[in-house]
Amino acid sequence: VKMVPLEQLHLSHVLQAVSALESIVLRSFGPEGGQVLFTRDTGQVMVSRSGKRILTALHLDHPLARMVVRCVWKHSTITGDGSKTFVLLLASLLRIIHATATKDPHMFQPHNSTEASEAATARHLADRLLEFALTELDKLIVLNVLPHGFRVSLENFTAKTQHDLSCQTLLVSFFRTRLGYAYCDFFRNLFCELLSHWKVKDDRPSFSMQFLNNSFLALHTQVSGVPVSCSRLIEGQVIHRDFATPCPQVRKQPLKAVVFNGYLQPKLLTTGDVLELRCGDKVTEDRGIVHFSSWTEKSVESIIATLQSFGVSVLLCALKQSSAVLAAATQAGMCLVECVSEEEISLFTQLSGVTPISDCRRIHPEHIATLTFCKPLLLGAHRYVHLDFHDCEERLKVKPCSLVICAPSEGQADQHACAFQDAFRMLLTALEPVRKTQTALEETIPSKKCTSLHADNISNGTACRVHLHQKCVTETGCVISAGGTFEFLLHHALHQYGHSCSVSVNTSAVVPVSQLLEKALLSVPRQIYSHNLKHFLQAQTRNGNMSLKLLDLGLESVSCKYQLVLAVLQCLTNLLRINMVLRTHAVLHTESHDSLNAHSFMIPMSH
Amino acid sequence: MALNGDEEDFEWEPPTEAEMKVIQARRERQDKISKLMGDYLLKGFKMLGDCCEACGTILLQDRQQKNYCVSCQELDSDIDKDNPALNPQAALSQVRERQLAAQVPAAAPELNGGPTSSQAGVSVPQPRPEHCEGAAAGGRALLPPPVVASPPPTASTTTLAPIRPPVCPQNSTLRPVLEEAEEAVLTKLRWATAQLQSSASLEASIQLCSLISSCANSLRNLKELSQ
Repeated sequence: VKMVPLEQLHLSHVLQAVSALESIVLRSFGPEGGQVLFTRDTGQVMVSRSGKRILTALHLDHPLARMVVRCVWKHSTITGDGSKTFVLLLASLLRIIHATATKDPHMFQPHNSTEASEAATARHLADRLLEFALTELDKLIVLNVLPHGFRVSLENFTAKTQHDLSCQTLLVSFFRTRLGYAYCDFFRNLFCELLSHWKVKDDRPSFSMQFLNNSFLALHTQVSGVPVSCSRLIEGQVIHRDFATPCPQVRKQPLKAVVFNGYLQPKLLTTGDVLELRCGDKVTEDRGIVHFSSWTEKSVESIIATLQSFGVSVLLCALKQSSAVLAAATQAGMCLVECVSEEEISLFTQLSGVTPISDCRRIHPEHIATLTFCKPLLLGAHRYVHLDFHDCEERLKVKPCSLVICAPSEGQADQHACAFQDAFRMLLTALEPVRKTQTALEETIPSKKCTSLHADNISNGTACRVHLHQKCVTETGCVISAGGTFEFLLHHALHQYGHSCSVSVNTSAVVPVSQLLEKALLSVPRQIYSHNLKHFLQAQTRNGNMSLKLLDLGLESVSCKYQLVLAVLQCLTNLLRINMVLRTHAVLHTESHDSLNAHSFMIPMSH
Repeated sequence: MALNGDEEDFEWEPPTEAEMKVIQARRERQDKISKLMGDYLLKGFKMLGDCCEACGTILLQDRQQKNYCVSCQELDSDIDKDNPALNPQAALSQVRERQLAAQVPAAAPELNGGPTSSQAGVSVPQPRPEHCEGAAAGGRALLPPPVVASPPPTASTTTLAPIRPPVCPQNSTLRPVLEEAEEAVLTKLRWATAQLQSSASLEASIQLCSLISSCANSLRNLKELSQ
C-alpha cells in the first residue's frame, strides 16, 4: 500500500471509522447488551461491558479512531459513564451531517471539488451545532426535561430512606449497568458505608466525595481469589507494600512514624557521577572510596540514632533504600517500608498532618506522625502494611477507612474498583447544576410540576454558590428515569424549538441545526429498544405522564446527559475540522493514553 | 436529485426509484462493512490509517501483519461485483456480453481453465490495475475482471479458480491443444482490433485495449509452453 505523504480527508472516511467503532459498541449497549470477552496472550481473561474498556482495548492505528477513543476516555474520566452512548450519538450525528452535506454541498462557498465542499459544509454545520448547544441547550433542558424528573439529595445519604427515590436508587441503577444484577445492592451498601465514614461532620458530603475520587487509588485494595461478598471496609490506611525489615511484636502504645522522600544513605557513584574526595586541606593517607563509604555508613547510623531519640519506630520511604540502611534499621528494631507510592504518601501526610523528610540531617517534631498501630495485613495472596492514625478524628473530624474489593479474578476486581470510582465521578457530575442560574429560571416555572422529596429540601436554598475555582456541586441533582427518557424529551423540545424558529424567521436555505440534533437523539432509545419495537413506540408516547411505576428502568442523571451531549458535539467539531492527514514514520508507538503517537498526524485547517 | 435553476433556488426533487435503490444498496453495503470491521476489530485485528486503493475502505491488519480490505475481499467477491446497479463496469460488461453473444462464435471451451487442460491456456487476464493488493496477499487468485468478458465469459462469474503454476503434461497431448488455443486467441485478437478501430466510446476502447494486451500475453505464454 502506497504511503502518500499528504492526503485529503473525506467525510466518508470519518464516517466509516466512527461507524466501525459504533458497531462494536452496539453489541454491549442497552439492558440486553452482551459482554465482551478479553483474552491476553498470557492467558488472562476478562469479561466486560464497559464501553471505555472495550474501546481502549482495540488496536487502532487510524488517527481519527484514536482521537475518538481518546475523547471517550477523557469524558469517562470526568463523568464516569456514558461511553457507549457517546459513540452512538457521535455516529448518528455524523451520519445525519453527512447526508445533509451530500444533499446540498454547494450550500456555502463553492469549492474545487465536491468532497471539499461537502467537508466545508459539514464543518460549518458542526460549528453551528456546537454554538447552538452552548447557548440554547441548557435552557431547553431546564424548561422541558427537568420538570419531568425528580430531585435527589445527598443529605441523609446513608440513612435508609423510606422513599424509593434517592441517590441510592441512582447508585443502584449505575451499579446494575456496570456490574449486573447480582452485586448492585451489595456495592451500593458498601459505597454508602464508605461515604458515611469519610463524611466530614458539619460539612457538605460532596466535599468528601471529591476527596475520595482524587485519592481513590490509595484508598482501595484489590484482592483476587476471594468471593465478592468478602469486600469490606477496614479502618485506617493500607500501604500496598510489605515490610522490608522484620516487624517486631505489636506494641500497644501509639507508634511514631516518619516519611522519607529520598535516600537515607546517599547513593555512591552512579554512572556519570564525579566524586571529589577531600579531607580538609591536608593530604592524608586515608583518602579514598573506602573512607567515603565508611563515612556514609556512619551518617546513616547517626540518622537512626536521631530517630531513636524521637522514639520513631516506623519508617516509610518513597525510594528503595540500600542494604546498610536496612541493616541499621533492623538492628535498631525499626520497621521500614520502602517504595511507597506517591499517592499513598500523599494520603498519609494528609491524614497524619506531617511533612515528609527531605533532608535527613534535619529531623524535627513536625515530621513525626503518631499511629495507633502498624502491622502486617494479609489480604488474598499478598501481605500489606496496615496502619491507623492516632488522633485523626479530633483533628480532621473524619474516620479514615480503606476499601477492600474482592473478586474471584484480577480482571473482575479491577472492574469492580473502576465501577466504584466511576460512581463517585457520576455522582459528582449528577450534582452539578445544568445551568448556573438554574434557580432563577425555575422560579418562573409553575412549581406544581416539580416534585421534590425531602420536606426540608423544597426551598432552593441549596443553590449553587458559584465557586470559580472548583467544580460547582450542589447537594441536589435532578434525575430522570432511564431508558431513553431524556432523549425523547429533548427530541420533543428541539422539535418545538425548530418549529418556532422557522415560523419566526423565514429561512429556506439554512438548515436549523436543532433538527439535526433532534434526529440524532432518537438513535439512542432506538438502540435501547432495538429488540422490541413496540416498547420503543410505547416509550415515545408515554412521555406525557411520567409515573413512579417507571422506576423499574432505573434512574439516570440529567446533568450527566447534558455533559454527554456537549462532549459529543465538541468531539464532532474537532473531528470535522481535520482537513488533511500528514504521514510520518514515527519511531515510537506507545499504547499510552497520554500520547497520541500514531503514524499519522493531523493538521486542522481553518477556512 | 437535480437542482432546478441556479444555486439560490434549493428546490429538491425526490430521487427516482432507481436512485433510491442505489442509495439503499449503498447504505446497506456501508452498514455491512462497518459490522464486518467491528467483528474483525474485536477479533484482534488492527485498524490502519490507510485506505484500500480500490474501494477506499479502511484497511485492517491481522496478527501476521497481512493487510485485509473488508469490502474487496468479502463483499465485492460475492455480490456487488456483478450487481449492475452498483458496479458500472459490471453493467458495461453485461452489455458487452450481450453484444458478444450476438457476434462472435462461441469461444473455445478449453479456455475455461480446467486443471487438466493446458494451464497455459488459462491466461491470467490483465488484472484491473486498481485491484486491491491485499487480495493477492491472501493467496487467492486475482479474479478475472468482468471487463475482459470475452474468452472466458463464464470464468468471470465463477469464483476463484486457483491459478496453478503451469505443470508440464506430456508434450504429445499438449501440442494440438496449444495450437487450438493459439488460434482462438488470435481470432479474439483480430476481432478486438476490428472493434477498436470502430469504437467510439472511451470506456469500450480502454477495455478493448486491455483485452488485446491480455491476448498478447496469452500468446506469449502459449509460445513459451510450446518450446
